[in-house]
Formats: sequence, C-alpha cells, structure tokens
Amino acid sequence: MSAAQIEQDNSMASSKWLDAHYDPVANLYTFSSCMALADLHGDGESKLVVGDLGTGTNNMKLRVYHGTGLLSENTLLDLPTGLVSFLMDQHEPRTPAIAVASGPFIYVYKNLRPYFKFTLPSLEINALEQDVWIQARQDMIDTMSLKEMLEGIRDKAEIPLSVRSLRFLMLEPQDMEAFVNLHKEQPLRRQTVITCIGTLNKNMADEDAVSCLVIGTENKDVFILDPEAFTILSKMSLPSVPTMMDVTGQFDVEFRITVACRNGNIYILRRDSLQPKYCIELSAHPVGLVRMGKNVVVGCAQETLQGYTQKGKKLWTVYLPAPVTTMGVMDLPTRGFQAVLVALASCEVHVYRDKNLVSTIKTPDVVTSICFGRYGREDGTLIMTTKGGGLIVKILKRTAVFEDRDSAPGPPLAQSIRLNVPKKTKLYVDQTMRERENAVAMHRAFQMDLSRLRLAAARAYVKALESSLAPMSASITEPLKMNAVVQGLGPSFKLTLNIQNTAASRPVMNLAVCFLFDEGLYSMRTAFFKIPLLVPGLNYPIDTFVECLSDKGISDIIKVFVLREGKSAPLLTAHINMPVSEGLPLN
Amino acid sequence: MEVTMDPLFLAWSYFRRRKFQKCSDICTKVLGDSPYDQESDSPLLISEAAWSLKTRALTEMVYIDEVEVDHEGIAEMMLDESSIAQVARPGTSLRLPGTSQGGGPSPAVRPMTQSGRPITGFVRPSTQSGRPGTMEQAIKTPRTAHTARPVTSSSGRFVRLGTASMLTNLDGPFINLSRLNLTKYAQKPSMSKTLFDYIFHHENDVKNALDFAALATEHAQFKDWWWKVQLGKCYYRLGLHREAEKQFRSALNHQEMVDTYLYLAKVYQRLDQPITALNLFKQGLDHFPGEATLLTGIARIHEEMNNIVSATEYYKDVLKQDNTHVEAIACIGSNHFYTDQSEIALRFYRRLLQMGVYNCQLYNNLGLCCFYAQQYDMTLSSFERALALVSNDEEQSDVWYNLGHVAVGIGDLTLAYQCFKLALAFNNDHAEAYNNLAVLELRKGRVEQSKAFLQTAASLAPHMYEPHFNLATLAEKMGDLQSSYAAALKAEDAFPEHVDTQQILKILRQHFAEL
Repeated sequence: MSAAQIEQDNSMASSKWLDAHYDPVANLYTFSSCMALADLHGDGESKLVVGDLGTGTNNMKLRVYHGTGLLSENTLLDLPTGLVSFLMDQHEPRTPAIAVASGPFIYVYKNLRPYFKFTLPSLEINALEQDVWIQARQDMIDTMSLKEMLEGIRDKAEIPLSVRSLRFLMLEPQDMEAFVNLHKEQPLRRQTVITCIGTLNKNMADEDAVSCLVIGTENKDVFILDPEAFTILSKMSLPSVPTMMDVTGQFDVEFRITVACRNGNIYILRRDSLQPKYCIELSAHPVGLVRMGKNVVVGCAQETLQGYTQKGKKLWTVYLPAPVTTMGVMDLPTRGFQAVLVALASCEVHVYRDKNLVSTIKTPDVVTSICFGRYGREDGTLIMTTKGGGLIVKILKRTAVFEDRDSAPGPPLAQSIRLNVPKKTKLYVDQTMRERENAVAMHRAFQMDLSRLRLAAARAYVKALESSLAPMSASITEPLKMNAVVQGLGPSFKLTLNIQNTAASRPVMNLAVCFLFDEGLYSMRTAFFKIPLLVPGLNYPIDTFVECLSDKGISDIIKVFVLREGKSAPLLTAHINMPVSEGLPLN
Repeated sequence: MEVTMDPLFLAWSYFRRRKFQKCSDICTKVLGDSPYDQESDSPLLISEAAWSLKTRALTEMVYIDEVEVDHEGIAEMMLDESSIAQVARPGTSLRLPGTSQGGGPSPAVRPMTQSGRPITGFVRPSTQSGRPGTMEQAIKTPRTAHTARPVTSSSGRFVRLGTASMLTNLDGPFINLSRLNLTKYAQKPSMSKTLFDYIFHHENDVKNALDFAALATEHAQFKDWWWKVQLGKCYYRLGLHREAEKQFRSALNHQEMVDTYLYLAKVYQRLDQPITALNLFKQGLDHFPGEATLLTGIARIHEEMNNIVSATEYYKDVLKQDNTHVEAIACIGSNHFYTDQSEIALRFYRRLLQMGVYNCQLYNNLGLCCFYAQQYDMTLSSFERALALVSNDEEQSDVWYNLGHVAVGIGDLTLAYQCFKLALAFNNDHAEAYNNLAVLELRKGRVEQSKAFLQTAASLAPHMYEPHFNLATLAEKMGDLQSSYAAALKAEDAFPEHVDTQQILKILRQHFAEL
C-alpha cells in the first residue's frame, strides 16, 4: 500500500470520530467490567458510572461522570470486581440501580445512595478444620501443631480450607501466635468471592425491562438473583472458575450465559441445564469476550481474535499486531451496525466487523477499559480509560461510514524490498583467473603455511597452558573462569574479579588470589586473600581497592593469580591493564 | 685558525633542522653571557632574540597539533551543561548512533564499537569509545582502549601529551610565569606570539595564556585575527564553547584561515551540532576549494553519524587531492572489506604498504582480505608477519583472534579453539573471542562452560548482540525460557533488525501464551 493511501486512510479514520474530551490526569484506574453507562436520574441524560480501583489497596471509589465533569464520588470498602446498572422494578420514574460486586458482596446503590447489600451464602466448612480451630480456641494445641494439622488437611481434604486457615499458613512463625489469639474467638466461616457479574432480563425483551443479576463466583458457581428480593433464583455450576461472562435472553423464557473460564475454556449455559451445554477449548487464555448477534468473539493472549458460533464451532481467526488489553462491543441499533472494539497494547483500538478491520483509532496511551453507548444525549459515544489513569471520550460522527471490506493492506510489504547484493568486480574475476591457473602452487603454499601455523599455535598454546596465562583453567578438577573489571578515575581504583566455577556439579574450595604489581606505582590494601567455596554456575564478584601512588601519568599491568592451596603454580592468570590515574594522590 | 660561527645563527640553524635541544642549549649559553633581564626596560637586541628563539625551541619540543587532538573527558560528557534536548531528532546529533540514514551496514556484517557505531578503518580520538549512555559505563575503563577516559581534558590529558617542564628542567623553569609582567610583553608584538605559544603549549597554563592573549588583542586593537584564534583556543580548553565560537567567528571575519575553520568545527562538534559543523566545512571549502583537511573533517562527521556511504564519497574526494592520505585509504579499504568486496580492499591496503606503512594492523588486514578474496597463498604469511611485528599484547590477541576465524573457515576447529584461547590469554577482555569460544565449547557438548563464557562476553560487551543471542538460543534449548527471553530482549536492544532474534522471541512469546 502506498504511503499516500495510508495517510488517506488515517485521515478517514480520524474523521470518523470527534475528540470530545481527553483528560490525561483523570486519575481513573479501572477495567471494562467496572464501567457502565446509565441514565441514573431518569432525565434522559446518560451518565458514566465507574468503579475506580484506586491504587489497588486504598482509594477505591464509585465515580459518576456527567459531561466532562465529575458528578459524585462514593468511597468503596474493597476492590470492585464488576459493576452493572439494572432496573429493579416497574416504578416511575424508571431509574436504574447500580450493583457493585466486591469480595463476597454486592452493593446495590439507588439514586447513588446505598440501598442494599447482598452477601453470598457461606460454604460448607471442613469438619476437621473446625475441630482444629475449636481446639485452638480452648488452648489445647500450640501454634506449631496447629500449623502441621492444617497443612495435613490442606493436602488431603476434599473441602478446601477457609481463608483464615490459608492466611495463617502463609505467616512467618513469629507472627502466628498473635494471629491465632486475634481470630480464634470468632466462628469459622468459608466464603467465596465474586469474579464476574452480568444482567439478564426477567421476562421482557425490551431495553428498559426489569433484569436479574447473574454472578459468577470463585467457587465455580453461577447464580441468578431475583431483582427485587435478592433471592437466588437459579444456581448452576461450572468445571472451572469463571472470569468473564456474557448473558442474553430472558430468564422466564430462554437464555444463554457464555462464560470464559480460568482454565482457558468457554462454556455456554442454557436454561434448565445445571451443567454447561457447550464447551469451546481455546489454545490460549481468553482476554476479552464479546457476543455479536449469534456469534462469540474471543480475544486470546496469543495475539489472536477468534470467532465462534453459539454452539462452539470455530468460524475465523484474525492475527493481531499486539497483545489485546481489553474488548468491548460497539452497537448502533439505529444504523444496524455492530462491531467489536479491540484495544491493543500498541496504543491502538481496532474496530472489527466479523473478521474485517474497518477502522483503527490511535490513542495516546494503552487503553485498559472501553465502553460504547449513549453518554449524555449522544448515542454513539466511545469512552476509554488508559493505563496512566486518563479518560478519553470520542463521539462517532453521524456522517461516518464504515466500509465492509478489509482495510488491512493487500500484498505483503516484503515483496517490494530489493535485496542489496553487491556486484562482483572485474578485479575479483581476474583474481579467480589467477586462482584457476595457479591452483596447485597456491594450494601447496597454503598447506605449508597452515602446517607452520598449526605448529606455532600449538607452541604458543602449550606455553600459555604451562604458565597458566589464560583467564580460564583447563584442568578437569578445577574448571574456573575469571575476568576483571577496573572502575574509577584514580588515584583509587576498584578492581572487581568475577570468578566462576564452570563445572557441572562439583564445588571448588581452598583457593586463594594473589596480585603481582609494581610497588612503586600501586599499593593494595590486601594483596592476598582466600576465596570462599565456589558453587558451580554462580558468578562470584570479589572487590578490592588499588591506590595509584604516582603523579607522572603512567600506568602498568597488574597480574592476578588464582592459586590452589599448597601449590605454587597458578591455576589461572589475568592481566589487568590499569588505566592512567587522572587524579593526584593525597599525601 | 678556526672561524667560529655566530652562535645565534647556529642556534637558528639547529632550530630549522628540528634539533631543539641543541638549539636551546646554545640559547642558554648566549643568555648566560649577556643575561636578559625580564624586568629591565632597555634590553639588548641579541639577548632578546636568543630568549625568543629558546622559547620557540622549548615550545616546539612539546608541540601538539591542537586541530587534531581532541579527547572528550568524562566531566565534559556526562556533566554537559550546554546540551538542551536530551532526545535529539534523528540525523542531527552525534549522540544517537543508531540513527543511520545513509544505509550503513548492519551489525551482522560490520562489527560495532561500544557506542553502537560501525568500527572505522582508522583509529583516532573519539572513534573508539564514543559517548557512553550512563555514568557507570563512562567510569568503567573501556577495555578496548588503553587508557581510561580523562576526567577533564584540561588537567590530566594535556599534561601527559606535552611533557611538563617540571620534569625536564633541573634548575627551575625557564620563565617564571608568576613573575612575568604580562602587560609589558603584550605590547611587544615581536615577542608576544612566541611567549604565548610557550605559555599555552609548554607551561600548559591556560588561565595565564588567556589573560595574556586578552591583553595582546587589546593592544592590537582587536584587529589581529591570530590573537582571536588564540583566545578561542584558550576558551575551548576552558570549556567555554560559546565564547570560543565568538572569537573564532570574529577571527574568520578578519582573515579566512583553514585552521580557524577546523577549530570552529571542533567547537560545534563538542556542542553536538554536527549539521552546523558540516555547513561550516562546506563554507570553508568555498574559500579553499579542495582542501584535504576540510574534506576529511566532513567525512569524519558523516562516519560518526553512521552515514558510511557519504563518508566514503568524501574520503574519495580527499584522495583526489592528496593520494597519500593514510586515513582516507584505510577508511575506504575497510568500507570495501565490510561491503563484501575484499579484493578492492586488498588493493587499498597494498597501497598503504607501498607508502611505507609497515605495522601489525596492516598485515592483519591484508591477511584477512587475502583470505576472503580467495588468495590463499598469501593469507597465512601475512598473519605470520603480523605476529612478528606485534608491539603489545592487544595486537597479538587481535591477530590470534583473526587466525581463529581463518581456522573456523577451513574447518579446523582444534586450531580455532587454540587460537581463541590464545587471544584470551593475551587480552583477558576480548569479548568476541569469549563468544566464539563459547560456540566451540557448545559443539563439544560442554554446556556449562559455554554458558559461563557467553555470560562473560555479554557482561564485557553489552553492545554486541551475538553473546545475547547465543545465550538466548542456549537457554531456550535447555528449557530455561525466562532467561532465554531476557537475553533475547537484550539482543533485540543491541540489534533490532536481527531476524533470528525476532524468531526466537516469537517462539518464546508463543510458549508463554500457550496453555
């Protein structure tokens, strides 16, 4: 594709979107699951509701944006894992409630005020574990035996340990006593946490129908909750822990829950089946899950985007230029346009319609959460937050047209690159002529020289071996290697000797290092020291300091010998070319 | 009866024959007979002449060409006040070696120096180490060069180059600078110039030289270009580059001189403005068409900016003007060698040999060229001569390293092993030899040894991509994907276009993403 054409495409892509708002320091850290657009006050203007993760340990907030400004801010007690807006009842005005999933709880807000807190039913406790803690409460066992018994239960029992026991097993021995004293009085509970949340219309297909909450838990269960009473209407179990879900249909008629799980599989649940109906086995972990009509589009950790049918049949695969960070759906019912938004780690957002790339949006930072829908009074608004905490709002132009063909370039670029092969010169041809004519003589001369060279090399090699000149030892018992680094400007230099034992498994011990240098030029604090035992494969840096005594701007070689105790011949030698000292010595 | 020659004339003759010590001795005698009082106002002409001649003789003894010698100190480099933009645009700075726009060779073909530039055919100050990225790198002695980088060029370096007067004179210095009446001498144009040279070159007292030059230029009513150049030289030494630039510019207004252009270009290079320096050289060429030193200056800047193609063009221009220019011949030769035309490189090196350059490096290059141009009968004899001519261990190690390459080329791995080990015995920090030795060890199946050598090579020369890449391959084969990935990333850093590294990275990423 020519440069002009790319430019044209870029300008066309940018002309599809209006930059409505960009705040690089909005201090908003969140993911797509914690973002929703809702008409909170029933005044026809949609607001952006965000569960802000803060720093991850504190400063978690429920924030509501309106236009370019912040409307309200509620503090959250724990990290939010999911956020949805849903209609609870038929009362007028129809104002939706906000459900924030966090830990084992769902906090429901109405009119931005806390309204209800739902807690997941607690799970069955391991009887043995219960017994052990009762004994601990009565001070019948000490902490060490408590630890041993809990470890035994953890390894064997079918019912896993409670969070308290797991936390206890993680502690350092000195902290255990205090932990037991603090917690032993409270009754033991085992609770799971919510991993993902979604909504499901109860009995009508309308957009403003009453809807149920669907939650997935760490305990591999999926619950459907009643919107008014918050009782569990249905419970289904999965083979793995759900991480993302997509829900469609109506609870009273027929529904489908598509769940991406931590084991890399996608399960499809239907009404009246407690077990998953279909299963899609992916080759890599899913990063994003979006439903497009009757198909499921999955972004994988392998930098691919894959399309599947409702029944788990693979339709297509698109290879992406960078890893996927998050995905969202772009639905414009007024124009009958549906597409998948894929945010990439290369600071781009790609818009895919089926497997065709229809538009690319460049962003100033890596997008971590994405959401498309009605914001304020504008139907086609794209809201993104970035890794650095920025907030980007873009509005789709009403004149924007998405062409259905693939905008990815046609022939591969490598086709047009010409290889730079140098030409053979006339000189070269002449020389080959000479080679052809005198082949025998040249060969003989070369072979004679080669034999002489072999002899010379062997002599020099033996000499080097005999005097251990090389910085690595060739002996089988002590295969060592050393190199030296000089640091500093002078007159003080730091010498670092890197000694390594290159044997496969044998350690080397009883070694010493000594230095040979001109005493009129240099002085060393310790010119002889022992080396500790050398474990194979590790690099041992040994530091020592050298002082230069001369102010004449001259330098010399310092020789380093590694010696074996009881033997005078060195194992190996290194020559250090000392740099010229730039500073003058202190007298 | 023997007629004795006038002693002063004899001294002048000695001076012209560059026998400075004898000249200085005679002048000392003349001065001893009729002492020239530095303080008196009525000097005898003869003693004045003798005094001036002795000053010149002493200066000439330690004179170094200011135009050439330039070695940036650590302080100048790391604590640079004049640099404003930390990240310069590509092609405008000497600090960004990676920005090759002239189609320079890839590091797979032409080896890199520590600063990430292709190695040159001619060693001169600043070609070897370049500008280090970090303080750590700067302080660590560059093992390829012999000395550490000077802290400041005004203290250490110049004392070493021009042997200080203190070492040679037993009975104190010839001129006592602290007692010199600078104002008086500045008003005597006949003596002031030699005295300035003496203070600047022999005494190496830049501050006094600057004061003296300032007085002299004032006396000349700011019209003498020579004093302005000297002022600029003093400012340059003191690191006041902007002031130096002003003086050189003003000198150029009075009188166009090649030297002044060279000094000014030096200032611009120090200020990291290669484009301005190039323009200046071209401006100089308008006044002095075909001046070889100016052309060489342009070629050097192109070379430092990784634009090898235009550098070679300019070196060819230099050769048109001066066909015995060693630097140009060597650079063109090495360029031909690394663009796979070793037979032409051979011609250039032979030309050097004809010109009387007779050293180890040249025979080393000749041997390599012969080998790669398939002139096998001359290959090994050239290396033999190179070995006979070595003057230090580093050279010997380089010759053995190249012999190792030849041995690999003819498939004699035992000889290659011995050669690489010898290279290491003579130079303990030969990273390339470590790397090659590691590959040979791996072929022998000694994985641990090989790994240790590769790690050493990587730590000695982090700018080379080969050890990182080999380490990545080795670790990947051993199943240590994490270290393989880390090493492959470093290799990618050193040589982003390397296809094999990209492939290994792709395989590793696939491994990490898979379930």
